[in-house]
Amino acid sequence: MATALPTLRRNWLVTMRAYQWTYFVGTLATGILTVGLAYLAFHAIGGGRAGGGFAAAAGTADYLGYVTVGAAASMFSVRMVLWVAKAQITEQREGTLESQVLAPARRLPYLIGVGLQALTTTVVEVVVMLAFAIMIGVRLPAPDPVTLLAAFVAASVAVFGISVPLSAIMISVGEAHITQNTLFVAMGLLCGFTFPPGYLPDPLRWLGEALPITSALRALRAATLEHAPLSAAAPDLLLCLALGLAYLAVGLRLLGPAERIAIQRGGSA
Amino acid sequence: MIVTQELRKTFPGQRKLFRPAGPATDAVDGLSLSIPPGAVTGLLGLNGAGKTTTIKVLATLLRPTSGSVTVDGLDVVTHAREIRRRINLIAGGERMVYARLTGRENLWYFGQLYDVPRAVLNTRIDELLELVGLTDAAGTVVERYSRGMRQRLSIARGLINAPAYLLLDEPTLGLDAPIARDLRAVVANLARDGVGVLLTSHYLAEVEQLCGHVYVVDRGRLVAQGSPTALTAGTRLPHTVELTLAEHAPAVSAAVAALGAEFEVGVDAEERPTFLLRSPEDLAGELATAVVRAGGAIVRLEVNPPTLEDAILAMAGASPAVGAESGRAAVAAR
Repeated sequence: MATALPTLRRNWLVTMRAYQWTYFVGTLATGILTVGLAYLAFHAIGGGRAGGGFAAAAGTADYLGYVTVGAAASMFSVRMVLWVAKAQITEQREGTLESQVLAPARRLPYLIGVGLQALTTTVVEVVVMLAFAIMIGVRLPAPDPVTLLAAFVAASVAVFGISVPLSAIMISVGEAHITQNTLFVAMGLLCGFTFPPGYLPDPLRWLGEALPITSALRALRAATLEHAPLSAAAPDLLLCLALGLAYLAVGLRLLGPAERIAIQRGGSA
Repeated sequence: MIVTQELRKTFPGQRKLFRPAGPATDAVDGLSLSIPPGAVTGLLGLNGAGKTTTIKVLATLLRPTSGSVTVDGLDVVTHAREIRRRINLIAGGERMVYARLTGRENLWYFGQLYDVPRAVLNTRIDELLELVGLTDAAGTVVERYSRGMRQRLSIARGLINAPAYLLLDEPTLGLDAPIARDLRAVVANLARDGVGVLLTSHYLAEVEQLCGHVYVVDRGRLVAQGSPTALTAGTRLPHTVELTLAEHAPAVSAAVAALGAEFEVGVDAEERPTFLLRSPEDLAGELATAVVRAGGAIVRLEVNPPTLEDAILAMAGASPAVGAESGRAAVAAR
């Protein structure tokens, strides 16, 4: 933690000076729009009822609750990916990658520090979004606290894990937008933020299972919508943790060579 | 001691869409050098000579393609983290610090990355801010700093871990003359305190002033090495002596010719006779004696010895063939 906490503090200082409201409003607006549009569609098109097919695929007939949890998870995932995956390429763009790599500090605690800052910010954003959802009439049952905590930890590991190889890709190719948006599109399509992955063809569904956010979402919904005990959510939690840690291990392995590629590209004389 | 043996760094050819990759480039090609503690060692060459790549390999930022680099016996590839505790790099160009943090916050953050003990860190930050003249601006966000102030902060960052070896890549680039002079004094003091310093600089007067030993590279290869004085003398570049007489003296030209050096005769703006003498040795004394004995009255005598810059340019022009071979021989003999 010798590097994580100073990095958390550094990122807070930078955020408060440079992006006091922009990221907060941007992330929050996405969540509020997702829930707001789902609410309008549910009442204007669906007549306030979800079809039987939805209940069978989603495991719940509470469409708005389903979308609200998905929107919260989406905000959380996007924020974490934006900060953790882009941490190194931001260092590169600001000219500090070399001074950071030059220090003996390890990458993992550094990225944990970046992730902690994203986590603290996104908790506030999610709370505000949930308040909006409740205000417009979405009813969220009291979650099972232990399962929710376990799902939250597993989701954090999952999103953090997938961000690290993404960071390596970004700095090695020197590009962030195409990389991050490709992941966001894949996540939006495959992971089940706003509709059950059961609607997807089998190959896409299996592809979605390769992203740990899919199982994290199932665990989060089990905790919040179904009041499931820890044992019921355990398979999804374990799958999510295993995938997240696997992505993390691959990412940490790739990060060193990716940094050298980025530094090499920075000048060869 | 930092030691490189037959260090080679090859960059692969750049790949472009639907086109074959370009040829690979040897940025560093068989370079052997040593940087002892307690001394400033120079690394000179023209642009593209491979200086920055060499420094990045020594700093563990890049890995050598072949050859070896050790710092106090530790290999840069297998013991990179341990080496990073012992070294630091200061590069010119005022980057390497966080624009949205204050000067003090930057040094605090880097101190944490280097795991500098808390009991030491705050005192060291104060000392470094004082050293680079940023005490009054310590609480100002770096994006409001001038270019020179950023570079000074970057220098303080490079000293935050009290490195045993300091790699300086154009450290005075963009600095005002008084600050550059102060930095040179700091570097000299660090060397006196036992720090091993490797310096690259386009300001060759800086190198002449600070470095006891200089390596000259061209296109990644060692061309020559030695003290600045020895390097300058070794190129056999001519000293020039400019002499102005009060009035024409018929015997002087013959006396100058008798010295056996190449010379030109002319007149200055006041129509006084002038002599410009070029010789591998400094012939000012002999020239003055000969002129006076021939009845000439000297009103001006100016001696211009060859500079290190002249020597570097001459060596770069003479490489690759002969220079590279002599360089390798010199390294082997060292």
